[in-house]
Amino acid sequence: MKGVRAGSRSPIFCGARRMEQSNRFWRTVLLAAPVAVFTVFVIWPLLSSFHYSFTNWNGFNREFDYVGFSNYAKIVTDKLFLNAAINTVIWMVAAILLPTLLGLGLALLIDSRVPGGTMFKSIFYLPICLSAVVVGQIWVWIYQPDWGLLNTVIGLVSGEEFRYPWLAKPDTALGSVIIAWAWQQTGLSMVIYLAGLTSIPEDLIEVCEIEGATAWQRIRMLIIPLLTPATVVVIALSVINSLKGFDILYIMTGGGPFHSSDTLAMHMYNESFKKYLMGYGSAISVVLFLIALTIIRIYFRQLRRVDEIYG
Amino acid sequence: MADLRLENVSKRFGDVQVINGVDFAAKHGEFVVFVGPSGCGKSTLLRLITGLEETGGGRIFIGGADVTGMKPSKRGVAMVFQSYALFPHMTVEDNIGFGLRLAKLPKEEIGRRVAEAARILQIEDLLERKPRQLSGGQRQRVAIGRSIIRDPKVFLFDEPLSNLDAALRVQMRLEIARLHKRLGATMIYVTHDQTEAMTLADRIVVINRGRIEQVGSPIDLYDHPANRFVSGFIGSPAMNFIDVNEHGPENCTSLGAGSASIELDGCQVAGATAIGIRPEHLELAGPEEGDFPATVEIIEKLGAESLVYLQFDGSDLPLTMRTSPEHPLCAGETVHVRFNKDRIHFFDRDGKILNRP
Amino acid sequence: MVDAAAIDRPLRDFNPWPAVIVVCLVCLAVLFLAPTLGVLLSSVKTTRDIAFGELWTIPDTLFLGNFGEVIANPAVHRYILNTILVTVPATAASIALGVFAGYVFSKLPFRGSDVLFLILVSGMFFPPQVILIPLFRLFNTMGLIDTLWPIIIVHTALGIPICTLLMRNFFATVPNALREAAILEGANEWQVLMRVALPLSLPAIAVLATLQFTWIWNDFLWPLIFTNSDEKRTIMIGIVNLKGQYSVAWGVQGALSLIASIPTLIVFLFFQRYFIKGMTMGAVKG
Repeated sequence: MKGVRAGSRSPIFCGARRMEQSNRFWRTVLLAAPVAVFTVFVIWPLLSSFHYSFTNWNGFNREFDYVGFSNYAKIVTDKLFLNAAINTVIWMVAAILLPTLLGLGLALLIDSRVPGGTMFKSIFYLPICLSAVVVGQIWVWIYQPDWGLLNTVIGLVSGEEFRYPWLAKPDTALGSVIIAWAWQQTGLSMVIYLAGLTSIPEDLIEVCEIEGATAWQRIRMLIIPLLTPATVVVIALSVINSLKGFDILYIMTGGGPFHSSDTLAMHMYNESFKKYLMGYGSAISVVLFLIALTIIRIYFRQLRRVDEIYG
Repeated sequence: MADLRLENVSKRFGDVQVINGVDFAAKHGEFVVFVGPSGCGKSTLLRLITGLEETGGGRIFIGGADVTGMKPSKRGVAMVFQSYALFPHMTVEDNIGFGLRLAKLPKEEIGRRVAEAARILQIEDLLERKPRQLSGGQRQRVAIGRSIIRDPKVFLFDEPLSNLDAALRVQMRLEIARLHKRLGATMIYVTHDQTEAMTLADRIVVINRGRIEQVGSPIDLYDHPANRFVSGFIGSPAMNFIDVNEHGPENCTSLGAGSASIELDGCQVAGATAIGIRPEHLELAGPEEGDFPATVEIIEKLGAESLVYLQFDGSDLPLTMRTSPEHPLCAGETVHVRFNKDRIHFFDRDGKILNRP
Repeated sequence: MVDAAAIDRPLRDFNPWPAVIVVCLVCLAVLFLAPTLGVLLSSVKTTRDIAFGELWTIPDTLFLGNFGEVIANPAVHRYILNTILVTVPATAASIALGVFAGYVFSKLPFRGSDVLFLILVSGMFFPPQVILIPLFRLFNTMGLIDTLWPIIIVHTALGIPICTLLMRNFFATVPNALREAAILEGANEWQVLMRVALPLSLPAIAVLATLQFTWIWNDFLWPLIFTNSDEKRTIMIGIVNLKGQYSVAWGVQGALSLIASIPTLIVFLFFQRYFIKGMTMGAVKG
C-alpha cells in the first residue's frame, strides 16, 4: 500500500502504473475470444466426457440416468475393447517404427546432397497434403483383389494370377491399413529429420572428416545421437497421430472384417454413433484421454531431458 | 625439414579468387601465425591444409609427403575449431578419445592416452562431464585435448580464442604458448588479432586478399614492414600515415596536412608518396625542437603509458602518440611534437616500403 | 552445407556413393509416387478399361469423360461450396484468435500465463474423439446439427493451439523495443499489434494459413459427426457418399478424388516451404 501511495506521487511510477492498467485491459480484450472459444468447445467438452461416462445417455433423449462405474466395468469385460486396445498398440508400434525409420533413412539419403534433393523431398512429402479419404481410396485400389496394383505386381513376378483380398481378410486388414498410413506419415518424419540435420553444426561433421570417421561411424556415433531431439518429436507425433487414427480406417475397412482392424478411436465411434451408447463411448474416450495424457507427459519429460543435453 | 610446405596454392569460390598462389614453408617445431583482416583468406588457407576444402591449384606437403587431394584424416593434421566443435552428447573423455575410438584402438590404450592428454591440459577432473557443463576455457582445453591425443604432424588452430572473454583469452594464449613449448610440435594458428599473432608466433604470415604480404618474426614485421598494409596491420595503436607533398623543398620531406605542411629537414627518400610513423616515435618537444604544433584532442591514460590523439592544426589529420603518463597534458592544449626521424618509414605509390639512402 | 553428412566428398578417387544413393532414391520415389499416379491414371480411363486390369498402365488416349461426369454433378458443386464455406472462415478465425492469444503470451505475459499457454497448446495433442460426444450433445441442444456451424466452430477452436503456439514463437522474434518505441510514440496496444507486429508476422500467418487450410479442407471426422443430409456434406464425405452412386465407376471416383485434392495440391505446390516450416516449427517447438 505504501508503495502505491509513494508511487502515485512520482510521475515515473504513475506512468508505470497506467502502463500496467493498459496492459491488463489489452490482455483481457485479446485473450477473451480465444480463451472463451477454447474453454467452451474444447475444455468443457473434455470435462463433460468424464461426466457422460457415468451415464447411459443414448444420443437422442435429453434425459439420461447415472449408472455409476458400470461403463468402466463394461470396458474391462468388453472383448471388443480389448481387441481394439491390442490393435491400437500394434498400430502405435508400427506407426512409430515404419515412418520413423523410413523418414530417417530418406532424410539421410536426401541430405547427402545428391542431385534432385528438393524434388525427392517433394515427392516423399506429397502424401501429407492428401486427405485421409483420398489416401484411403488410393490404397483400397492398390489392395483391390482383381486389378489392384499389389496383386498385379505379385502376379507379374510369380507368373500366375494372384487374387488375394488384402482388406477383406482379418489376417491382413490391419497391416494393410498401417502400410497406407505409414506411406502418408513418412514424409512428415522425413522433414522433421531434415530440419534436425540442418541444425547439426558443420564443424562437428568436419571433425569427423579430420579424425577419419567412415560414413557409417559418422552416422552412428554423431548424426543419430545428435538427431535425438528430432527423434523425440517424430516418435511423439507418431504416437499422438496413431491415437487419432480413425479416418483412414473408416475409409479402408471400417474396422472390419470382424473387428480385426478396430482401434480404440474406431471402437469409440462405433459404440457411440452406430450403437448410440454415448455413455459407454464417453468412457472409452476418457480412457483414450488418459492414455494421451500419459504419453504427453512422457514426451515433455523426454523433451526437457534432451533439452538439457542439446539445448 | 619442413613439416608443412605450400607450393603455389590457390583456390577460387565461383568468381572470387580467395587464395592466390601462396608459397610458404613451416619448419619443424615452428609456431606460425597466419594473420590478416577478416575475409583475407587465412581461414580458407587453413582449410586447404586440412583438406576440408579441395585445392584449386598448387601442392601441399606435410612431413615431406604430398597430401594434395588426400582425405583430411590421412594428412596427419589436427585442428582446433573456433567453436571448439565438441560433441554435445559425449563426455569429455569420449570427446578427447573420439579419433582413437574411430581407429578401434584397445580400450586400455585409449584410456591411458586420454588420461595423459587430460593431465597435460589439467582437465583430469572434468572427464565425466558433458560439454554443456563446461566453461568456455574448459571447452577450449577439451578441444585441444582432442587434437593432441592424435599426435599429429601439424596442429592447426582456427581462431581458437575468439569466443573467449578478454581475460581468459590472455590466459589461454599463455597456455597455448606453454603447450607449444612442451610438445615442440609444428603449429599453424589463424587469427585476425595482431596482438595474438605478435605474442604467440615464431613467425608471422600476414595475409591480405588471398596473398601473403610478408613473412617474418614479430619484431621483424614490426620494425621492418614490407609495405603499408603490414605497417598498418601490425602494431597497436596503428602506425600513423601522412601523405608526402609532391613538390617539397630540396633535401626535405614535406608532409601534407590540410592547408599547412610539415617540413622534415635532412630526411628525404626519392619517390616517397607517404610516410608512416609509429605512435611511440612521436614525442613531445619544446617549441624550438618540435617539428609541428598540434592540438591534444583526447588522452587515453592506460597507466603505464598514455595515448594522445592529436589534431594537427589546420587539418583533420589524426595522429596518435604514445607518451609516458608523467606528461601533464590536457585536452585542447597545444603541444609541439617531434618525429623520431630514424624511425620514419617511406612508402611509394603502390604502398611498398622504400629503403632509406 | 552438410553435404559430407552421409557420403565422403569425392577426393580424386571415384566415389560410387552418390550414384548408389540416387538409384535408391529413384526406386523409393517410384514406390512413393505409384499410389498417387494410380489416381491420376484411373481418372483418365473408362470403367471398362479398369475392370479389365488396365488401371496401372499408361493410357494411349486420355479419356476425359470421368471429369465431365464429376463436373456435371450438382452434388459435387454443393460439396465443394460447403467445404469452402467451412474452410475459409474457420482458417481465418483460428488464425485471428491465435494472433490475439500469441501476442499476449509473447508481449504481455502475466503471472500464470505460462500455465494458460501450456493448457491451450496441449489441446493439439489430444485425440478429437475425447470431445466428440459432449460437442455432439451441445450442438444438438443448440439445434445446429446438420448445419455448417458446428464444423466451423470446432475447427476454429481446435486450431487455436497450433495458431497460438506459432504466433507466440514468431512474435517472440519481434524485438520488444519496437513495441516500446511505438507505445512511446503514442500508439495503443491494438495499434502496435495491427500496425507493427502483424505486418512483420506475415510469414508466420502464411505458414498457418497453409496448414489450417489443408487440415480443414481434408477433414473427415467432424462433418461426418455433425452433418447428415446431403445438402450439408463437405467434399471428403461426398467422395465416400458418391461411392455408392458410382459403385464400380472407378474412373469417376478417381476424377472426384483428384478434383477434391486440387486446392490442397495447389497449396502444396506453391506454399510447400511454408507448409514444411509449419509442420517442423509446430512439431519441434511442441
